[in-house]
Amino acid sequence: MTTRFRKFLGDSALSFPTWAYMLFFFALPVALVMWYSFGFKPDQFTTHSMEQLSLGRYREVVSPTFLSVFTATLRISIVGTLACLVIAVPFAYWLAVKVPPGRRGLLLALVLVPFWTNFLVRTLGWQIILSPDGFVSEALQGIGLLGSPLDILYSRAAVQIGVIYNYLPLMILPLFVAMDSAGVQLREASADLGAGKWRTFFQVTLPLATPGVVSGCLLVFIPLTGDYITASVLGGANGTMIGQLVANQFQNAQNWALGSAMAVVLMLFTLAVVVVTALLALVVKAIIKHVGRVELPTGQHAGPDAGTAADLPAGSGVRQAEAAVSGTTTGGPHA
Amino acid sequence: MPERIRRRSLTDTALWVWGAVVFLFLFLPIAVIVLYSFNNGRLLASFDELGVQAYVSGLQNDVIIASVMTSLKAATGTALLATVLGTFGGIALARATKGAKWPVLLTALLALTLVTPEVVDGIAMLPWFVTLGVDAGLTPFNNGLFRLVIAHTAFSTAIVTFIIRARMAGIDSSLEEAAEDLGATKWRSFRDVTLPLAGPGIFAGALMAFTLSLDNTILSSFVQQPGYTPWPVYIFSAVRVALRPEVAAISTAMLVLTLLALALVGLVLKRSGNSSSQIVKTMAGS
Repeated sequence: MTTRFRKFLGDSALSFPTWAYMLFFFALPVALVMWYSFGFKPDQFTTHSMEQLSLGRYREVVSPTFLSVFTATLRISIVGTLACLVIAVPFAYWLAVKVPPGRRGLLLALVLVPFWTNFLVRTLGWQIILSPDGFVSEALQGIGLLGSPLDILYSRAAVQIGVIYNYLPLMILPLFVAMDSAGVQLREASADLGAGKWRTFFQVTLPLATPGVVSGCLLVFIPLTGDYITASVLGGANGTMIGQLVANQFQNAQNWALGSAMAVVLMLFTLAVVVVTALLALVVKAIIKHVGRVELPTGQHAGPDAGTAADLPAGSGVRQAEAAVSGTTTGGPHA
Repeated sequence: MPERIRRRSLTDTALWVWGAVVFLFLFLPIAVIVLYSFNNGRLLASFDELGVQAYVSGLQNDVIIASVMTSLKAATGTALLATVLGTFGGIALARATKGAKWPVLLTALLALTLVTPEVVDGIAMLPWFVTLGVDAGLTPFNNGLFRLVIAHTAFSTAIVTFIIRARMAGIDSSLEEAAEDLGATKWRSFRDVTLPLAGPGIFAGALMAFTLSLDNTILSSFVQQPGYTPWPVYIFSAVRVALRPEVAAISTAMLVLTLLALALVGLVLKRSGNSSSQIVKTMAGS
């Protein structure tokens, strides 16, 4: 009995410090925020009061200002995520498939350089590039492409460029890992079986990279939705994001109750996106497995083979989910 | 047949061009910052004349140096603490008995920290630190550096844990079992077998925690205390007033130092016999 007990404890005891830390410095404070969201701001000098609990702050959250900022934020983060995906898919494919293996390490290291440059400093670089009296503006005017100085800084377009740039490496890395670990053998097999280049890409490489696509999209979407640094550097007053509204309630308005309610809404929304994405990925996987099933024309012999071919994406998908998780780690919710 | 060959090389060319364009895009703002750090003018954005004035005055600016030092100290502390927590958590998760419930719960809790927007972490930490430090009288929580380390660790532990779990999941537990069969105590087999095996994962996790802490702006701006302003928060407040070339100069210096340190790490890993792709993947934590 004691050995059994010890075995049980030895198994989980190692994780106790992690448990304790995450509960004490994450779960508890976040629970506190949820609690505050049911309170109110009694007077000018008090941040919150819990004497009367109500859903009043949530009603305040659903105001036209909040909703318009919310939709604007959502538009920027959806467009940003899709743009990152469109840029990163061919790029990751090129890096994983076309670049000779000897040079791959160096190029991958180069992709990581922006990642190791301070987030704000990179954004400042764009502020200089996009500024009306910057060198780009002058060059465009010089060759006659622009009649007046470049008018893009402090607009939504500038914010969009900035976020695409800032989160692009987080899309490239998991995609690269997924495409790289799919290996050259399957692509060669596909070519040997007579599939063209495009067919191989869409029926072999891309389906196998689905976990990478999913984790890349989440890695970009989640921090992007909460980010307000990029927007306030490049968008000025036109770049108000939802995170900024939440921060303002705490840093300027000193209304913790309302700020907490906004934060809870933001958090639940992000969580909902993650769940929906995961479900969507499962559906897509099922469809791929169903539609992409390879039926070999020859009689009985082909039976088991066809089965194996169809099962393959699912099987290696599991392995890649692991890779995708470590991909998740890579990016981390960056700055 | 010739037509087919030509079409193939066309898509290939397009891919190589795309690769080059994306690299240009990735390096454009960094190149601009490096270039503008040699701006002798008063304002960063308007290039005046070429010179190293910004480096000289940046290194003499006590506020800037203090904030860079704060960031480096916080990042070191975070790397240490998050790596210890992540190593324990990651190994425990990878070696958990099948069917146990706690690994699922712990993974869910850690995943939750990853999907929580940073601003939520920030607003949750601030009142919590006030409660602990002022109301409960735990004075360390009033120290700016301590606060930064605690807060940064809370949001990087999940990443470190997952990196180490991924590393350990790929290694058979039979080695540890063999050590115990040979008479090693549980602690001894952990210290002499498990930890060295987890080595690359631990290293990648520490590097990742260090980077995340160094880069963190939003969370830091909530928990910071006067006298302990980390470097990104300093830059963010400077953006609102006026940006001087010193910011670019110090950032360039930090970038060069970071790259040198990483190159050194890569060299050490190469000496120990890893391929270049492996090294980069290790450093990126995947």
